[in-house]
Amino acid sequence: MNPLYPTFKRGFLNGISITYKMVKVIVPCYIAIELIKHFGLIEAISTFFKPCMGIFGLPGESALGLIAGYFINLYAAIAVIAPLQLSSKDMTTIALMLGIAHSLPIETGVTRQTGVNAWLMLTARVVFSLFAGIVINLVWKLFL
Amino acid sequence: MEIILVALKDSLALTVKLLCIILPLSISYEFLKHRQSAIEKKHFAFLGISGKGFVPLVTGIIIGLTYGAGVIIYSIRTSNTSKKEAFLILLFLSICHAIIEDTLIFVVIGANGLVLIGFRFALAIILTYLIYRSRLFNAQFDCFPGKDGRIEQ
Repeated sequence: MNPLYPTFKRGFLNGISITYKMVKVIVPCYIAIELIKHFGLIEAISTFFKPCMGIFGLPGESALGLIAGYFINLYAAIAVIAPLQLSSKDMTTIALMLGIAHSLPIETGVTRQTGVNAWLMLTARVVFSLFAGIVINLVWKLFL
Repeated sequence: MEIILVALKDSLALTVKLLCIILPLSISYEFLKHRQSAIEKKHFAFLGISGKGFVPLVTGIIIGLTYGAGVIIYSIRTSNTSKKEAFLILLFLSICHAIIEDTLIFVVIGANGLVLIGFRFALAIILTYLIYRSRLFNAQFDCFPGKDGRIEQ
């Protein structure tokens, strides 16, 4: 038997287990957003978040994606954003912001175990995330 | 009822797309772990991160904090990395981690991958450099005489 087979198998099983965890988050989030859309609540949410999302050049309803990403994880955020049909610029902005700060409760735990000040790191990530959102919006408007 | 079924179908389709990305990645992670020592030589000295810190840095950039946590925590603890350096590594990683997976899963739903990667690398390098050079940061870690800034084992 090929000596690399156990490595391959471990990777494959990991991938399946990640996907299984992912499905449990994606399906309910996706359905919830479709229902919210169906009952016309999205306009209300959009108007409510419009002032603060405007800083990043994002439509108000994308706040739901950011919240899901910060507090749950990226898969939840993707399930929330996918049905909203945003433009490529909006997707990229959200992806950048969430790439920097996501699954904050879990990852703060990981950071703490390395011995680094976890609260400082948490604050830094949220600040960087918001900062990156503002900057990419400006850069995009100026150059792209 | 119909709307729920449509949403269920769409969300499963999205999951299958993501599976196509995650499966090859998780398999390559395992192969990467195999050849860890080959990448230990290089370093990011200009950011204040030495050769010792390179493994956790690269692991974090490629794999990310959640799945790479084991390797990152282990390398930082066992290699006697100074607290200052550990902070810089995590600072860099806080902006730029899981760069392949995060980027690809957002590309699936329509984001621009090149802009994402470029932006995160640039931002991570600039901010880490600025903080490494900043007086406040250096004062923070130099104000404990007698302690050499190592993390207790």
